[in-house]
Amino acid sequence: MTKVKSNSESRSEDVEGPDGGWGWVLLAALFVSTSLVFGLMRSLGVFFVEFVQYFEESSQAVSWISSTGLAAQQFFSPLGAALCNAYNARLVVMTGGFLAGLGLILASQATCLAHLYLTMGVISGLGWGLVFTPMVATVMANFTRRRTLALGLAFSSIGLSSFAFNPLFQLLVEMYTWRGALLILGGLSFNIVACGALIRPKKRSEAPAKVDPDSRSSCVAQLQRVSSYLELSLLCERPYITYTLAISLLNAGYFVPYFHLVAHSRQAGFSEYQAAFVMSAAGATDILGRVVSGWFADLRHFRLIHLLSFWTALAGVFIMLLPVSSLSGSYVALVAISLLYGFCSGALTSLAFAVVPLIVGVERMMGALGLLQLIESGAGLLGTPLSGLLKDITGNYMASFMVVGSFPILGTLTMATLPHFFSCTDSPPPQRRSLDDKDKGLNSELEQMNSLPSDTSSRIAE
Amino acid sequence: MKLLWAVSALLLSCWRTDASTAPNIITEPHEVSNQTSAVLSCNLTDSSLPIKGSYWTLNGNILEDSVSADASPFTTRRLDKITHSNSGKYECVFKTEPQVKQMIEVKTLPHVVAYKHSEHGNENDKGVMVCVAHGHPLPTDWGWFKEEDSSRRQILNGTGDKYEIKSTPNKTILTINDLSIQDDIGDYTCLGTNELGPGSDEIHLRVRSRLAALWPFLGIVAEVIILVTIIFIYEKRRKPDEVNDDDDSGSAPLKSNSTANHKDKNVRQRNSN
Repeated sequence: MTKVKSNSESRSEDVEGPDGGWGWVLLAALFVSTSLVFGLMRSLGVFFVEFVQYFEESSQAVSWISSTGLAAQQFFSPLGAALCNAYNARLVVMTGGFLAGLGLILASQATCLAHLYLTMGVISGLGWGLVFTPMVATVMANFTRRRTLALGLAFSSIGLSSFAFNPLFQLLVEMYTWRGALLILGGLSFNIVACGALIRPKKRSEAPAKVDPDSRSSCVAQLQRVSSYLELSLLCERPYITYTLAISLLNAGYFVPYFHLVAHSRQAGFSEYQAAFVMSAAGATDILGRVVSGWFADLRHFRLIHLLSFWTALAGVFIMLLPVSSLSGSYVALVAISLLYGFCSGALTSLAFAVVPLIVGVERMMGALGLLQLIESGAGLLGTPLSGLLKDITGNYMASFMVVGSFPILGTLTMATLPHFFSCTDSPPPQRRSLDDKDKGLNSELEQMNSLPSDTSSRIAE
Repeated sequence: MKLLWAVSALLLSCWRTDASTAPNIITEPHEVSNQTSAVLSCNLTDSSLPIKGSYWTLNGNILEDSVSADASPFTTRRLDKITHSNSGKYECVFKTEPQVKQMIEVKTLPHVVAYKHSEHGNENDKGVMVCVAHGHPLPTDWGWFKEEDSSRRQILNGTGDKYEIKSTPNKTILTINDLSIQDDIGDYTCLGTNELGPGSDEIHLRVRSRLAALWPFLGIVAEVIILVTIIFIYEKRRKPDEVNDDDDSGSAPLKSNSTANHKDKNVRQRNSN
């Protein structure tokens, strides 16, 4: 009895996360690596101007580079998650950082556009995919009480770093030409390796070994192992599928305004500077929203899923209000709605990942995040071209913003179909169908909202 | 012979009558060159046609503020400060049936401007410098010079493969192939000359060494390696403590309560015995 309890306590420390100490160091590592992945991706615009001039290609051909990179990052996310389950997160993140840097270094030697697709797109994208999901999952595993705040702080790095990187990259290109600047960027990306080195390898004694003990043939056993690493069994579970669908709908719409806000403001009759200011304002409140929503969610006044639905619905409403506010011709109204929209879209990003362990459990979180990224990326590809098409057909942005704003609202409605959505406490995540059912039962009980004191959990264990 | 004289006299008289009934615009001055300000005026004489108004155009574009419905045959345009932007071919147009107009050319020195005053090029790569000209008339002659110590050396087109100059009236491009750090760094002057005189601008060329970016890159890689080494060493020093903790929690079946985990090692060993 006591042995079981001491085992459960030590495992609870593994599973629940110490919420401090080394967790903050990992948070700093996530901050740096996220900024080097997404902040870098968002600031590549400086290079595209140079590429258009140097290779004498159209800007559409050049913009495929960043699309390839983003697509590769999201496509390889499940791979990163699976490798973490198979080996350890530290090795995967360090490899990912090395690949990302290598891709950029090779890109600096490119002689044609196809080279850039391969190096900056595929290789660096693969590296980024191997970095992002494992790091997020590791940080989430290390925090419980302050998980959302940690995520909010880490994701605020994206906005901050794109502020900082744009002028920095411009300076690098000026001083060293784009080849030299890409070389230096490759070196900077190597810092992700250092971030990955900070991950302490966990002693996962039994966790990923969900192999059949009587492995019939190596082929089937391999497939089973691969599918367990990728957590493909999640695709059969209704809560996870529902949540993924909701997030995909959300992803289809919620950041489209960032692409079209400037054009819409210009069309509404405002000057270039006014339009650019609207964008910057939305970006600034985005950063603020991430941190504030993370802090607020951790106060535990409301369930995370309720907060997420709230922010998502609001974001959808504000997207729909954007063209309406500029109808009246009032600049103040447009800026106000954009600020609110920026805040909501930042707020929901902090929460979107944090809800996942509540649905699938901390142990399967890694694979779940990978699959989620892959599936939501498909929907993300849908949103921007659709809204562009609607704008081309109707001539203004009213219809496109309306349709795009309806996607997050649909996502909220989908989220409402999650089991236990309308109850006031979180339900325990489903148990793993694995050999060590007893331990997993303990885990799921311990996963309950940490309002339960430790002696209550020990009574349950007995 | 007499027939010939008669015909020519007839033709001449026809021409003279034409001339006497055609409207004549007297312009004052005929041409403006190298002045800082001027007043252009047109006087429509010898015309019985009704004048509905008048306006001025510059290089074919109507100047909106000069349109007037005044039926006066005398119209003026004042140029307080003549710069390259308001030089060109001015025409005063009278709204008659048919329209009559006369041209006054306002000429200035060419205004020569470089696209970028500081250009960069890579070693062994090519460097491109561009100058454009504004004003009227556009330069007919372009020259490029390299400033050396106190004198300037003219760069001639086609001296070997090194220099290429492509010029059009409003733009000139100097391309230097195979840049070398010793020879090609410095100031270059583009000179555009029109009938009134020259205009010029200066460009500073910097040649970056091929390996210029290598040093920061190596510095960053060294920093990463040092960081990773420090992290691993720090972890190895802490590792013995962690290993002991794990062993104890796994291998001590006789612990009485959980607090034993938090006491020091001595207590644990006693319990397991």
